[in-house]
Amino acid sequence: MSETAATATAAATEAGEAEPTVVVDEVSKHYTVGSRVTALDGVSLTLPTGSYTAIMGPSGSGKSSLLNLIGGLDTPSSGHVAVDGKSVSTASEDERAAIRGTDIGFVFQTFNLMPRLTAVENVALPLVFDGWSRADRIDRAVDRLEAVGLGDRTDHVPSELSGGQRQRVAIARALAPDPALILADEPTGNVDTDTGATVLDIFDELHAAGNTILLVTHERHVAERADRIVHITDGEIGSIEATGEA
Amino acid sequence: MDGREGLRIAVRSVRAHKLRSALTVVGIVIGIASVITFATFGASVQAEIIGDIGDSNAGNIYVFGTPSDDEGFDRVLQPVFTESDLAAIGEIEGVTAVLPRGSVQVSSIRAANQTLARSQVTATTPESITPASTVSGRAFTSGEREVVVNERLATGFSENLTAGSTLTLTFPDGEEQPVTVTGVVNGTRGELPVSNFARQPRLFAPVDPFYEAVVESPSAGVRQRAYPQVTVVTDPRQTAETREAIEDYLAGDADARQLSASDTELVARSGSDFVDEISDVIERITRFVTGIGVISLVVGAIGIANVMLVSVTERTREIGIMKAVGARNRDVMSIFVIEAALLGTLGSLLGVPLGLLVGRGAAAYADVTFALAPDWIALAVVVGVVVGVVAGLYPAWRAARIDPIDALRHE
Repeated sequence: MSETAATATAAATEAGEAEPTVVVDEVSKHYTVGSRVTALDGVSLTLPTGSYTAIMGPSGSGKSSLLNLIGGLDTPSSGHVAVDGKSVSTASEDERAAIRGTDIGFVFQTFNLMPRLTAVENVALPLVFDGWSRADRIDRAVDRLEAVGLGDRTDHVPSELSGGQRQRVAIARALAPDPALILADEPTGNVDTDTGATVLDIFDELHAAGNTILLVTHERHVAERADRIVHITDGEIGSIEATGEA
Repeated sequence: MDGREGLRIAVRSVRAHKLRSALTVVGIVIGIASVITFATFGASVQAEIIGDIGDSNAGNIYVFGTPSDDEGFDRVLQPVFTESDLAAIGEIEGVTAVLPRGSVQVSSIRAANQTLARSQVTATTPESITPASTVSGRAFTSGEREVVVNERLATGFSENLTAGSTLTLTFPDGEEQPVTVTGVVNGTRGELPVSNFARQPRLFAPVDPFYEAVVESPSAGVRQRAYPQVTVVTDPRQTAETREAIEDYLAGDADARQLSASDTELVARSGSDFVDEISDVIERITRFVTGIGVISLVVGAIGIANVMLVSVTERTREIGIMKAVGARNRDVMSIFVIEAALLGTLGSLLGVPLGLLVGRGAAAYADVTFALAPDWIALAVVVGVVVGVVAGLYPAWRAARIDPIDALRHE
């Protein structure tokens, strides 16, 4: 599997094409919780720019660990991770924070909005840490909220919004810094089916607009929206399945 | 991250827990308020005394007898300074005037048909009444039944007293004497700095004919008037030397020395001595109260630290969110430090007016003019902020170190 990824990377580079947005090369992650646990074992994966990839796997398979590594929330025990040409695995804590803030947009299952900030302030939050002026932040945040259809909810706090609206605020926040990669962890897991469909439609639109998306799910119908499905079991990539749409 | 955003987040957080925040800052409020109270009260008392002494009285030396065991001014001063003493002190180099002060016992003062009881009548010489401190009229004349009054007494009757008004003094033996008011004054030369001049009705009369305390002068061998207190006006440029000469005289064969009880010490104090003495007492009280204030601030700081630690735990998930969207450790740290500093600032902003209010009450109770101590107020605000920051450092550091993955899983 790693060979395939490496070959693909090399080929892309030789062809003079843009570097893939995400390169995961022979990555392992071990934890010591009483005994040594291997969460990921020599995983390699490449996400070309503009691709839409779903990761599926049972709980404990290592898919969350992979997401955390690609998202710069964690560092691998061995191997190498790069996002948008920046090495996440060797970056310092502050550098990883900056990568999370500017290159990656997170969408979580539980929305993870700041409860006391309004929708527009939540969307603007990544820009706060990237040093934007307040006026520019608000402009950008309002623009992103309008893009997800919440232009009339900018001054509401999360508790005043429905689950679907909250998830759309979270997507708007992920889009705020124009990230190279959108990481979604079970984005439909906490909303009803109809709302979930709306959320997935938004991801389709983002994909169509050229965004690179990595989505983690355990629902087959959600995963099928992507170009390809990466199956993870026991910390290893079992298979990569191209969906009909790809 | 820009600080204003940190402040905005902190304000939201404090507002979200109004009661908790209010209780947290109580310690700071008490600490700051107690320090401010005594700082302003002390400043008020000091300003009052320094105001009484003034520049014109800078060269005054106050001579009186005081018990050696230093019980203060409570004991009635004995008339021991004879006319001979006054004359001898007048000979000392640098002395420009010797002003005797004695009190005349009067049971009441009557103007027209209105009677004022319990007014202090001071017998002194016309030299005590200077044109500078005369509001209207002139000084009394020695040997005449003339008096001057202070403004408080002049306005104490239904019809204000002016030069030319007639008063009737009633003495303890029932004798009544009509006197003529020759002037109204707002002070006299030789006034003791602790006399609280403007606030009490005062009447000044010439020693001749009103002052009757007479003793036999040991040096002259004849009976002379004697006074419990003498104010010596000196050339301000040589007050110190003159004072030493007066002390030498008092320690030598002064009549006052021989007439005084053995446990009485004759002292010559300058105006600044009074200021120093009272300042010393105020400073000691202020230091004590500041100590209590500091303890209160420490307790307040612990309270802030405790609440911030709770807040960090409660907001673990928020910290995870902020880190996931790009907050660096120092961003998270500054958010919590700003919040703690905000609590400290709130405490001092509430403590300062409370302290001023209580200080004002204390000044009114002590009958002194309220004076601000701006440097203490500024210091109090700074201390409040610093206490908040210091108390917030450890909780903020804990917050900054939280692992974002764990934090995002935190319920």
